Amino acid sequence: MKNIYKYLLLLPALLFVTSCEDEFLDEPPEYSIDSENFFNSEDDYQQALIAAYDLLAAVGYVTTITSEIASDNAEAGGESATDVVAWQEINNMEHTPVNDQLRNIWNWNYAGINRCNYIFEFQDKTDFEGRTQVLAETSFLRAYYYFQLVKWFGDLPMPLDKRVLFGEASGFARLPKAEVYTQIEEDLTFAAATLNPIASQQGRATRGAALALLGKVHLYQDDFEAAATQLQTVINEGQYDLFGDLENLFLSQNENSIESVFEIQYSNVQGAGFECLQCSEGNVMVGFSGIRGYEGPIYRSGFSFNVPVQELVDAFETGDTRFDAAILDIEAFVAEQTETVSFVEGFDHTGYYTQKYLPRQGEAFQDPNLTNRTNIRQIRYADVLLMAAEALNRGNGDDAQALAYVNQVRARGGLANINVSGSDLTQAIYQERRVEFAGEGHRFFDLVRTGNAASEIDGFQTGKHEVFPIPLIEIQLAGNVWQQNPNY
Amino acid sequence: MFSYGLVAQTVIKGKVTDDTGEELPGVNVVVKGTSNGTVTDIFGDYSLEVNDPSATLVFSFVGFESQEVIIGSQSVINVELVTDVVSLQEVVVIGYGTTTEKELTAAVSTIKSEDITKLNPARIENVLQGQISGVQITSGSGSPGGGQNIRIRGINSNGDNRPLIIVDGVRYGDDINTIDPNNIESITVLKDASAAIYGVLGANGVVIVTTKSGKSVFKPELSISGYYGIQETERKIDLLNATEYALLTNEAFAAGGQAPIFTDVASLREGTDWQDEVFESAPIQNYTLNYRGSTENTTYSAGASYFNQEGIVGGSKSEFDRVNVNLNVGHQLYDKLKMRTNLNYIKVDRKTLPENVIGSVLFNAINIAPTETVFDADGNFTTADNLGIEIINPIAQIANTFNDTETQRLTGLVGLTYEVIEGLEVESSLNFNYADVFTRSFQPEISYGVDKVFNAEVSSVSQSQQNFISYNIDNIIRYNRTFNEVHDVNFTLGNSVYKTIGQSLFVSGREIPNNSFEFADVRLATDFDDIIPGSSSFDTRQWSYFGRVEYNYESKYLFSGLVRRDATSIFAPENQVGYFFSLSGGWVFSDESFFPSLDFFDFGKLRVSYGELGNDRVPAFGFISQLDGEAEAIFDGEELVLGRAIGRLPNPELQWETTRQFDIGLDLDFFEGKIGIVTDFYTKTTEDLLIPVVPASGLTGTSAPGGSGPSVNAGEVRNRGFEFSITYNDEILKDLRLNVNFNYARNDNETISVNDDEVPVFAGTFSVGGTDDISRFQKGLPLGAYWGLATEGVFQTAEEVAASAQAGNAQPGDLRFVDQNNDGQIDDDDRTFIGSPIPENIFGFSLGLNYKNFDLSTLWEAQTGHSLVRNYERTLPRVNRRDDAIERWTGPGTSNTFPRLTTGETTNNLFSDFFIEDGDYLRIRNIQLGYSLPSEVIEKIGATKLRVYATVNNVFTFTDYQGYDPSASNGGGLNGTNDQGFYPLARTYMFGFNLTF
Repeated sequence: MKNIYKYLLLLPALLFVTSCEDEFLDEPPEYSIDSENFFNSEDDYQQALIAAYDLLAAVGYVTTITSEIASDNAEAGGESATDVVAWQEINNMEHTPVNDQLRNIWNWNYAGINRCNYIFEFQDKTDFEGRTQVLAETSFLRAYYYFQLVKWFGDLPMPLDKRVLFGEASGFARLPKAEVYTQIEEDLTFAAATLNPIASQQGRATRGAALALLGKVHLYQDDFEAAATQLQTVINEGQYDLFGDLENLFLSQNENSIESVFEIQYSNVQGAGFECLQCSEGNVMVGFSGIRGYEGPIYRSGFSFNVPVQELVDAFETGDTRFDAAILDIEAFVAEQTETVSFVEGFDHTGYYTQKYLPRQGEAFQDPNLTNRTNIRQIRYADVLLMAAEALNRGNGDDAQALAYVNQVRARGGLANINVSGSDLTQAIYQERRVEFAGEGHRFFDLVRTGNAASEIDGFQTGKHEVFPIPLIEIQLAGNVWQQNPNY
Repeated sequence: MFSYGLVAQTVIKGKVTDDTGEELPGVNVVVKGTSNGTVTDIFGDYSLEVNDPSATLVFSFVGFESQEVIIGSQSVINVELVTDVVSLQEVVVIGYGTTTEKELTAAVSTIKSEDITKLNPARIENVLQGQISGVQITSGSGSPGGGQNIRIRGINSNGDNRPLIIVDGVRYGDDINTIDPNNIESITVLKDASAAIYGVLGANGVVIVTTKSGKSVFKPELSISGYYGIQETERKIDLLNATEYALLTNEAFAAGGQAPIFTDVASLREGTDWQDEVFESAPIQNYTLNYRGSTENTTYSAGASYFNQEGIVGGSKSEFDRVNVNLNVGHQLYDKLKMRTNLNYIKVDRKTLPENVIGSVLFNAINIAPTETVFDADGNFTTADNLGIEIINPIAQIANTFNDTETQRLTGLVGLTYEVIEGLEVESSLNFNYADVFTRSFQPEISYGVDKVFNAEVSSVSQSQQNFISYNIDNIIRYNRTFNEVHDVNFTLGNSVYKTIGQSLFVSGREIPNNSFEFADVRLATDFDDIIPGSSSFDTRQWSYFGRVEYNYESKYLFSGLVRRDATSIFAPENQVGYFFSLSGGWVFSDESFFPSLDFFDFGKLRVSYGELGNDRVPAFGFISQLDGEAEAIFDGEELVLGRAIGRLPNPELQWETTRQFDIGLDLDFFEGKIGIVTDFYTKTTEDLLIPVVPASGLTGTSAPGGSGPSVNAGEVRNRGFEFSITYNDEILKDLRLNVNFNYARNDNETISVNDDEVPVFAGTFSVGGTDDISRFQKGLPLGAYWGLATEGVFQTAEEVAASAQAGNAQPGDLRFVDQNNDGQIDDDDRTFIGSPIPENIFGFSLGLNYKNFDLSTLWEAQTGHSLVRNYERTLPRVNRRDDAIERWTGPGTSNTFPRLTTGETTNNLFSDFFIEDGDYLRIRNIQLGYSLPSEVIEKIGATKLRVYATVNNVFTFTDYQGYDPSASNGGGLNGTNDQGFYPLARTYMFGFNLTF
């Protein structure tokens, strides 16, 4: 019996001697894919591409509502002067480098770019049929995100073809915006040449979207000839047309219509929370633009931000059917109803709401203010036509063709043709853009790029407000290597 | 012995009593140098056969000084043992071993079970509070089962500051609320570098819990105890009543250029006191049963306990229910082989309400208007319209919140100890923890009012099943020998292997039948469209070696040195291994021959220790990047398509943080141990501070859905401090015994460096004014320092505004901010250090009085020097306010502290010291009065002891702090004391009994 002691003694001794420590410790995590052993099949690439698309929803809503508030189309609104301070400050042209919404715009676009660059980093790892298609869609998305950033912030740090790892951000100096535009054009040219006219799924990038965006990018650089070329290609390829029933174009049954050149897709299939607005698959700007405290038919209540001002209402010609598509006159609406309708006046109440992105009954899911399904019609054929008209007119090209494009858009709005040319036509195009795209977030940057911002937007200072300040915290987190934009 | 038959066998008898003449059962009586011995019976009597008249009998008993008597010709030896007040021979647990109070060289404090039970603690954290110098307890929540934070000697880390918890030699998990405080024999806290025996786990200090085990007593002991109590909130926030609210709201609207809201203010009267509606009286109860004893070769202890506490907010909707069952058996298998076993089963059921966040029940109770009623005329909940989308009727919220967590845990241990030769033993033990956690959260279809963010259009249930398993194998060799009677040497050499794994499944479904909690299970849900089930798992391993040498010369010159090597899978292979050590020495100068023999002075010891410890508490595998981000896109109108994206950013360089601690201490005993003093000075610096999720540049893509910053090592922080404790224990009058303990700790925390000194690490949001990053880890400041604008009063006149840096941006009645950089404008560059979340001074005071059968005790504690952020208010136009708004600015000369009210634009809500409050407080934690029934009474029922008592916990808190709990903290380094409505502590009135057979 005593022998048993000896064996027992061996137990600890065994553990001391047979050092299986290394094997014990080097156990990789189970059931997980890590970032470096990915991209082994087409599926992997497709999944990474979904990740790159993901940020469109966030970027689409925040840039649309924020630029609308920045423009002379709308007041910030909300509940009070302190409700979403970031928007109130932008509305008043008092924004500083400390601004949540600007930081969202900066971060969410770069998050999209980083996910694109992750694909480029591993683009040669695995070959498969359709690889070029994946890269073309990725190029389109990267161009889209960089175009947003260059509009908002000007010169940019421009990581390409590789993720930015922790601690590497300070290695990216701000490059002149011309260089950023060159890169965007390169990405879009490749995308336009490679992508199909019809995407495999609605919401993915197409040749038409790439061409139209490329045309827009040229227009933003006053490169009218190149802009006209790309935009007229879209027109001449004949894939798109104006949607007849303008008043209902923004209803969900008319999403991805013939007029839609590029449309950001939203859905109400999933809930969402305020702690991660960028995680929502719904269109967050819709709930934020809704009628405050509304109870009644058709619509649902919301947070009464982004309320159109009288000046915008007055910009519509009498008889313009686009007015009802763009603006809801809440008092008039209430007066028309037979059942009781109630609502609450929010801060800076104007009496108007932006009809295109209003919450409607049956469109949202849990947390209805964050999960509205209304798609953002990012590039409409009307935009292509008016941009083409502007490129032709301002590029001293074919004014007659330009006028035809403008009248095509006016006719759809129920308005008579105009017959002007030269700088009158330029002004007419600007006016047409304002009313056609009221509430769609184009106005602020149209004013900036045409040099009209200072005269139209109260508080706009030339030499400062053309671009927004880079978020201070982002400058710090990147090691203080970037100079702030002038006068901020 | 050949002369065996020739030796006379003598029987020695006698009685052992204490110095009051009371008979002592269970006293060990041993013939010195042999294994021949016995224990005294219940009457203190013993009898022992002895064969050598020249032998010496040794009488020993815990708590008494041992006595030796030479037998000589005596056949009856009665002994009176003297209480060993100094307890210098008392055993102290030091991690993988023990030492004695006298030979201890480390800064270690111990609490015994009698000091535990008198507090009626619900959790072990409550035991430590105010009783041990240098241990700070903050309340994360006063809710049943809510977390408390233990911090030993300040805050070391931006990450995890929790000390290591060891229960019966084995590391316990994070769920320390599963420990039953009534089953604790002792708690030992390792405060200094001696915790290096736990290496990479020890930097935050170590709390070693020893549970009750079998006792070598003559007669088995059955003890039953219980208490029942009623709790109520200890504090309320002073808010406006309906009339005051209406007047001030009208004033604010007028100032904002808007029409007044309330036209008939006079009719409003007091309105609804929402705090009265939300707070209720709630029961708390605990029953414990324990049976323990010994046979010749076996010691055993078996017990069970039941604890139940309902919440002072939400009652049974906020309930904590715990069952503990334990069995502890030690057995001498063979002559030299001992076995110990331990088995614990724990079941915890906890229901919770949202707390300390925007939208929590208390947040709603504070902000909702007193003009609102709970129910409308039809008996339905009112809807708090006009109060913003985040504020809802808190009573409706309680009624519609359903969260339930059920934990079952089984912990076991089996250990073998083999004595190879005298002084050399080998111990091997295996421990396991197994826990299942089930959670269920039901969201009914509910509308709290138009647009409320808590509305749900469809009912849903979320369930999870989590499973945790860990095991630990320890192998230890100990050698103890005394050479030449003066050189005492102890070696400990060990190896410890640890593995913990866990896995979880998460499911949810919508459309619950009848919109009812009774049917809230996914099997009954009918809608699963686009719901993504989740799962997760983890696996962490550690492999360690450690060794310790202790040497003392005549118990006068003491030395201890230890080293530990840890390898952990948390870090990348090249960073896995670390070495930790400590050295300590002690000098019992009172034993020196040259030291004057003083009547009043018994004992003096000087201690010094230094060592290096680690902390590896960051999420595992932070060195690689997993594709656990969110990648979702919508195509074809409504189709949700899933992809893969990077989640947390990786940091291949990640490694543990290192703490170096130096401690010098002095232990003194006076007047035969009636007065004891322990003092310590320490300085500890922590390098490579672990920050679990550090903000990263937007270029890295961390703001994407599911993304987060990496864990990094950044910076260095220093805690320096002084600790002092004095105890006094004496019979001051006949039958009147007094014991007093006072302890004090001072801690100064300072950030020495941050990786990039230009860019502080920041965190925290001030939701009132929408300011981010209010708490900083910045060189020269305490860790987590609050950073905002400093104010200097309120502008009284337009001239004052015009002459200030706020000209154009402020109006009379607005807060005047300090233009720190004198550039003539107030902006972010004028922010400065406005408050520290870390207390500088911690005091504890306890007093016990025993007079005949009565006992009275009380415990007080205080903390000073820390600040909290008042962040439980909303700036929406129609919310309620604290009643100091009555003293607001309304015109020149009316107030220089509280700004004007307005619904218009104002700079008053910028994060400034207006929202920072001192958290200094003094709290009477406990008062207890007990009565032990006379023995003639209890003998009739066969009991040995019956004590009944009445007690009040959290009696009162003296503080200027306006929130619910000045001791509240979320326990983190950054942004620890951001008060969004911390759940207050409950004042509890209890009656209880302790019965022993």
